[in-house]
This record gives sequence, structure tokens and C-alpha cells, in this order.
Amino acid sequence: MATTDHQHLDPSVVAKFHFTQEMIEGPVYRKYQKAMRKFWSVEDLDFTQDARDWATIDDDQKRGLLGVTVRFLAGEQNVTSELVPMLAAAQALRRFDWTVYLSTFLMEEAKHAEFFMRWHKEVVGALEPEEVAQHFLVRGKTIDPSGRFEVRDVLHEALPYYGRRLLESTLAGTEAEIERAFVAFSAAYNAFVEGVLTMPSYEIVIDTTTSWNAFPTLRQGFKLILMDEGRHITFGTYACKLLIEKDPSYEEEVHRVFDKYRGNIVGLVEYQKAVPGLDLDKYQTMKVRHYRNRCREMGITPDDTLIEQIVDPTIDFVVGVEAG
Amino acid sequence: MTGGSKRWTCVEAGCSYELVAADVPSAIQGAQRHIAEAHGSFELEEMIEDVLEDVPDSAAGQTSRAARSPGKLRRG
Repeated sequence: MATTDHQHLDPSVVAKFHFTQEMIEGPVYRKYQKAMRKFWSVEDLDFTQDARDWATIDDDQKRGLLGVTVRFLAGEQNVTSELVPMLAAAQALRRFDWTVYLSTFLMEEAKHAEFFMRWHKEVVGALEPEEVAQHFLVRGKTIDPSGRFEVRDVLHEALPYYGRRLLESTLAGTEAEIERAFVAFSAAYNAFVEGVLTMPSYEIVIDTTTSWNAFPTLRQGFKLILMDEGRHITFGTYACKLLIEKDPSYEEEVHRVFDKYRGNIVGLVEYQKAVPGLDLDKYQTMKVRHYRNRCREMGITPDDTLIEQIVDPTIDFVVGVEAG
Repeated sequence: MTGGSKRWTCVEAGCSYELVAADVPSAIQGAQRHIAEAHGSFELEEMIEDVLEDVPDSAAGQTSRAARSPGKLRRG
């Protein structure tokens, strides 16, 4: 039933409803619809062959593979916990389509964490924090011999920091402060961590399991997770683009994040170097494409010095030795 | 984004491939094929879709062969 006579309506009642034609035809709502259509469940996956394959690989292979998978196990739990400020900010900014989409985003991050929990439990036989933590490759011994770059733990340092800033802005800041903090948080979470830093790691696992002709369910899980991540990353970069179009000064927040943590992407870090026999140059070089893509999605100008450093062969981190 | 022809440009280091395709699905298919064949890598659907550019009718006409054959790429 449609009517054009809206004059008698109480605005406070109208404000209780959020769906509009423009919203349901928009790019963020379409991501929500796609997430619902593409839903997958960890319970449908069979880990039997992966468990058999685990028994056949040698200790170096186990160490290399676990170096990556345990990092994902920790990382997916962390990004699940750290997403809440974005949801709160979407509500404060009255972006109901963002809130609706983020409900699938949060569920998917929890599901990704579940996938890695199940894989380590069923295949490796490790579940408890003390069991999986012993395979976590420690960041403290990854260094840049030139001393120019510091490799930091972006996931467990930057996300809580920018998340707290976003939450504080959401609770007590102006709309502009919330928007600025949103751009910084999304730049760290969606653009830097999900969209550049982690992308080579997906390919490392997919290439490794393909070349070993083993771990079909791990590979399948990574491909399913990547489908979800494509929506997560482009939601964040699209949101940044909208906000930067509104106030171009927000662009500097993106560059600040990438500059602060550039050490993590100008070289490959320890867990990305742990699997023996891979062409590491490929994984390093592809970060240029991912970085340029994120900038293109956000409508901002890439930092050419960062691109030059990503492809600079003299920048190569040493893993497992003490500085000096 | 409107209907009609789409342009996608590869931004891999040292690469300037560009394709023009008749529609979004064809552009995604062509871009993914290029990334796989030229760079031994993959690109996600959303990441291609979100950066496609509309091609003016006159430009689309100039690249109509590529538009009808989404798998064929041309150097930019």
C-alpha cells in the first residue's frame, strides 16, 4: 500500500524505520544479501583427509604450516573481538545498511575462528591455548638488518588502539570525530590487515597445500574464508571512500596508519617465510597490487615511497636471530 | 555504476594490462584470468567489481572485439 500523503505522520514514528528503496539497492545492502546467499558452515566440512595428511608430512613441513595456521587461529579470534567498535559507530552514524551488513561480517569472523579451531583440533590435535600457543612464531626475533623498519604486531596492537579510539568517539565525540576515527579503524582493520598484510598468507597456504597435494579441507576453508573477506575488505574501503568524499582531510588517517605500520609490509614476516620451498618474491610483490587496489577502492592516492619499498629487494627481514 | 561496458586495469607492480568487457561478469572473468595467467595469483570478485569504470559508448565501440570476447586482454 503506497500513499503520498505523509503530512500527518509523526516524525518520531517515521524515524523508527530505516529501510529505503535507495538503501536496498545500494552496494552495502547488496553485500549483506550476498553474504546470506553464500552462507557456508564449518560443520559441513570433513577434516578426515587432512588428519591423514598431517601424519605423513615431516617436522619442517609441520612447523612451517603451523606457523601460518596458528597465526590465523589467533588472528581470526582477535578480529572477531575487535569488530564491535565498528558496529557501534555504524549505529551512531545512522547507517542502518552498514549495521545490517556488519551483522554478517561479525558472524563470518566468528565462523573463520571456528574453522581454524576445528582444523587444529581435528587435524593437529591441539585446542587448548597452551597447546596451540607453542606453535606461534614469536615476532620479537624478526628484524630488519638495516635497522630502518620495525616489525610490529599490528593485529594485537593497532586494532585495539584504533578500536578504542573509535569507541570513545562514538560515545562522546562529534559526528566528524566518529567519521575520522572510523576511517582510521577501517584503514587498519580492512585495508591494512585484511586487505594487504594477510592476502599473501592466503596464497601461501593455498599454494603450499596444492603443491603438496594435501590438506584439501584446509585449502577449501581458505577459499571459503577469502570469499567472505572480499566483502569485508571492500565494505571497509567503500565506507572510507564515502567518508573521504564527505571530508577529504580524512585521507590523511589512512596514510598515517600505513606509515605507522609500514615495517610489516615492506618485507615478509616470520610466519610468511616459514613454509619451505616457496617463491617468496611472488608473495612480496603482490602486496603492491593489493595496496594499490585498496587505495583505488578508497579513492585516495597511493604512497609511492611505500610501493618502492615493497619491491625493494634490499629490504629483507631476518627471522630467528637477535638484533645486532 | 551503470550498465554497459566496463574497464578494469591491473595494478600489479610493473603491469599495465587493461581490459574492456561488455558487462560486469565478463570483466570479472577476464580480470581473474589475467591475474592467474600473468601473475600466478588470484583476485577476488568484489575487488574487481568495486573498481570497474564505466566506458563511454564511443570508447566501448573502439574496443568492441574485447567487449564481445571478455577473455581477450589488451595492453594499456
